[in-house]
Amino acid sequence: MHWRIAPQIQARRMIDRKPLYLMTPALAWLTAFMVAPCLMILALAFFQRGIYGGIDYTFTLENIALVFDPLYANIFLKSAFIAGLSATIAVVIGYAAAFAITAAPAKRQAMLLFFAVLPFWSNYLVRTYAWIVMLNREGLIAGAAQWLGYDGELPKMLYTETAVVIGLVYNYLPFVILACYAPLSRLNPEIAEASRDLGGNGWTTFRRVILPMTVPGIATGFVFVFVLSIGNFVTPALLGGGQFQMIGNLVYAQFLTANDWPFGAALSMFLIAIMMGLLTLQTYASERASGARREE
Amino acid sequence: MRSIANPRLMLMILSAVFAFLYIPISVLFALSFNEGGLPTAWTGFSVKWYGALFRNSDIMGAALNTLVVAVISTALATILGTLLAVGVEIRRRKGRFLETIIFAPMIIPDIVLAIALLSFFSLLNVTLGLHTVILSHVVFNLAFVCSVVRSRLKTFDWSVVEASTDLGAPMVVTLWRVVLPVMMPAVIAGALLAFTLSLDEFIIAFFTAGAGRDSITLPMQIFAMIRFGVTPEINALAAIVMTLSVVILALSQRLNRGGLPGQ
Amino acid sequence: MTQPLLTIRNVRKNFGSVKAIDGIDLDIHENEFFALLGASGSGKTTLLRMLAGFELPDDGEVILDGKDVSQVPPNHRPVNLMFQSYALFPNMSVARNIAYGLEMEKLPKAEIRSRVDEILEVIQLSHLANRKPDQLSGGQRQRVALARALVKRPRLLLLDEPLGALDKKLRGEMQLELKRIQNEFGITFIIVTHDQEEALVMADRVAILKDGRLLQSGTPQEIYEHPESRFAADFIGVMNFFPVTQESGHLRAQDGSTITANTPLESAARGVAAVRPERLHIGGNDRDNSISGTVSAIAYHGLDLQVHLKTPASPDPVLIRLTADVAERAPIGVGDSLTVHWAAKDTRVFAV
Ligand SMILES: Nc1ncnc2c1ncn2[C@@H]1O[C@H](COP(=O)(O)OP(=O)(O)OP(=O)(O)O)[C@@H](O)[C@H]1O
Ligand SMILES: [Mg+2]
Repeated sequence: MHWRIAPQIQARRMIDRKPLYLMTPALAWLTAFMVAPCLMILALAFFQRGIYGGIDYTFTLENIALVFDPLYANIFLKSAFIAGLSATIAVVIGYAAAFAITAAPAKRQAMLLFFAVLPFWSNYLVRTYAWIVMLNREGLIAGAAQWLGYDGELPKMLYTETAVVIGLVYNYLPFVILACYAPLSRLNPEIAEASRDLGGNGWTTFRRVILPMTVPGIATGFVFVFVLSIGNFVTPALLGGGQFQMIGNLVYAQFLTANDWPFGAALSMFLIAIMMGLLTLQTYASERASGARREE
Repeated sequence: MRSIANPRLMLMILSAVFAFLYIPISVLFALSFNEGGLPTAWTGFSVKWYGALFRNSDIMGAALNTLVVAVISTALATILGTLLAVGVEIRRRKGRFLETIIFAPMIIPDIVLAIALLSFFSLLNVTLGLHTVILSHVVFNLAFVCSVVRSRLKTFDWSVVEASTDLGAPMVVTLWRVVLPVMMPAVIAGALLAFTLSLDEFIIAFFTAGAGRDSITLPMQIFAMIRFGVTPEINALAAIVMTLSVVILALSQRLNRGGLPGQ
Repeated sequence: MTQPLLTIRNVRKNFGSVKAIDGIDLDIHENEFFALLGASGSGKTTLLRMLAGFELPDDGEVILDGKDVSQVPPNHRPVNLMFQSYALFPNMSVARNIAYGLEMEKLPKAEIRSRVDEILEVIQLSHLANRKPDQLSGGQRQRVALARALVKRPRLLLLDEPLGALDKKLRGEMQLELKRIQNEFGITFIIVTHDQEEALVMADRVAILKDGRLLQSGTPQEIYEHPESRFAADFIGVMNFFPVTQESGHLRAQDGSTITANTPLESAARGVAAVRPERLHIGGNDRDNSISGTVSAIAYHGLDLQVHLKTPASPDPVLIRLTADVAERAPIGVGDSLTVHWAAKDTRVFAV
């Protein structure tokens, strides 16, 4: 019924004359301190590095070429592997947790979700630091092992790739739980019942019905963990002990130690490109899933 | 999902996940009260590390800096973000470009924004310091405030604006007396969210604060402490910082029943 | 006759290609309870919003107390609107909501308080003065919205489907309540409704809108007894229609019987004859204005009995309203054959 909508539209129109006026300060701010700097970085990627580390304003494609140089292929593959592994583990655990939360009585779900997300609200550095305490040679796990009577040599835990993966999974898990919970909680329980009714057992129902319908949540979770991990430099620095580099560390180094800003800029453009590519894929996956939902 | 879930399995999953999430944090808390300061042995309850913390002038200086950054950037972001939210929601046609610009600060990887700002400030010959951190923090803070306020405005009944006009109020009075009070919980929730984000933000501050010792923020200090030798004080600091963020965000969540962005 | 309070002269309003209001002329007098009736999308809300000032007419004039106000903004018109959604300020108590409009007039505090108290008395909500709108029931909210508009003592109070959100029983009560309040305050009311019964109960005069045009206006009785169009006849009250053809001055129904009327069908070969259900009487075979058929349904409406008659003379069942004592004298059952007749003066004819 149009009268439900029309007055709203009218009311908005009355103050409509001035929305720009309201939006201008914030948009100006974003333009000055986000759009302009990002465009600048984009431009920077096409300039040469100066002899003394400054910027030489002559056009070059060298930095872009350097990104794809075999010299860095290793780092990229390693970064992608660590990020991919972390994202996969986070999605598996996060999905299972979200599923278990939706299986809980409705009254308790909000509380469970709240506590699953709570750690996400605390400081990232502190959460990472907690794992140093856990994995340290004098740390909790070592202490626990000792207390249990194990006094052989423990394998090195801190400053390993495993530690980095644990740290990344730990930090981003709440986000994945949240992302997976959304589509799961929206599923009509009757769909699962219908599948069982038609003879599917629990596992078939899950694999053929529930999983495909919750792909968007999985995709969102995966993309964000992957992108945030591959661009991360804090966790590798703290838990990896500088043993290996991720793209994030590489960018960091170009700006703060190697002083090759144009290459750093090219690297970060590459990061953005990865992110946009994955987000596009994710949109595609969600659309596929909602299409599938319509067909059900 | 209950119909196909195995209750025992579900319980096991939840226990394992919550243990994974909470054990490391709880250990930190416990440790901050451990007399000996080491995770390997409990030598007795003590608050001495908290005392040491407050006597550490480096930490206190960094904390003060962080407070300055958080307060100023939150104030600016709240004003800008709220106006932006009202402006966007009043518009009938939603521009995709506009949405992207507003959404971008929340999803751009921190490191990209950080180096972009660093290059930008250096090229303009701006001296780095707390002021550049503030300028930078406003970018993502205003986006979060805007998103919280917008979610509130989505359920706003705009006909009260007409009702106010009909009863004789000029537009300024209407915005002040009718629109703002309705938005207020969301504005405060957004401000609290921005405040914690700013308190905890490390990467952008790290790049835009410059090299001076007097512009170190608390997260930068924590990073340095973790990296270059762990002193037991950091457990106390970690416990305080963590509690602070969680309490403020829980408050924000409570105020804004619509939920935080992403939820 | 004195000068009308409100004159609407040739007002038009387009939304893009939609002619929401397509040239309306209307006079409304001091102290009148006036109802705008029409189907959904006929332009009722648009017309009301133009009177309130939320919509500027593309053409024509709105004259209030002899002054053209068509370009005056809403906050400067002595006109108030009661919103269909009530639009109560959720952050203010009942009393603050009501006081808001008076505060805008910068009246002294004492006067504001006494006027708010007085109106709370009238709407019988004094005990809820400090509640917030979300702590009120639908009917209470509706009354607060009314009080908030009324307390400003506007020259003209506009009400857009004020009872639309209430359940049937409450609606009935509120209809009488609105009427009482209008009487008490002596303020001119213009009410929008698409419920004709509501208009008949409350209004002194009614205007029927269709596609942005004014079809007919007058007292409910005038429109009921002398509808000028098939639409108006159908819209106000219940009406039976018989498609007819006109042959040499006689009207012939589809079943071949002859229908007579005091006013003949003008300059058209085809039309409809219309008769109100209460004008139909049982009996009367083999004469003009009589229709036979089979009873298809019987429904009780309080003391009245409604009989549906399936007949070849009309595509829709014919509705007959009988009083209980008539029905008792000659019991009727579903499936019975029945003949009804009516007087020529009760026939209305419309061209199609
Ligand atoms: N803001 C607007 N923009 C475009 N078209 C509009 C607008 N407001 C109303 N209309 C159109 O004008 C016509 C009249 O609408 P109006 O709201 O006045 O009808 P109404 O008689 O109040 O109907 P209802 O009984 O459903 O409330 C409709 O066709 C409607 O779609
Ligand atoms: Mg309407």
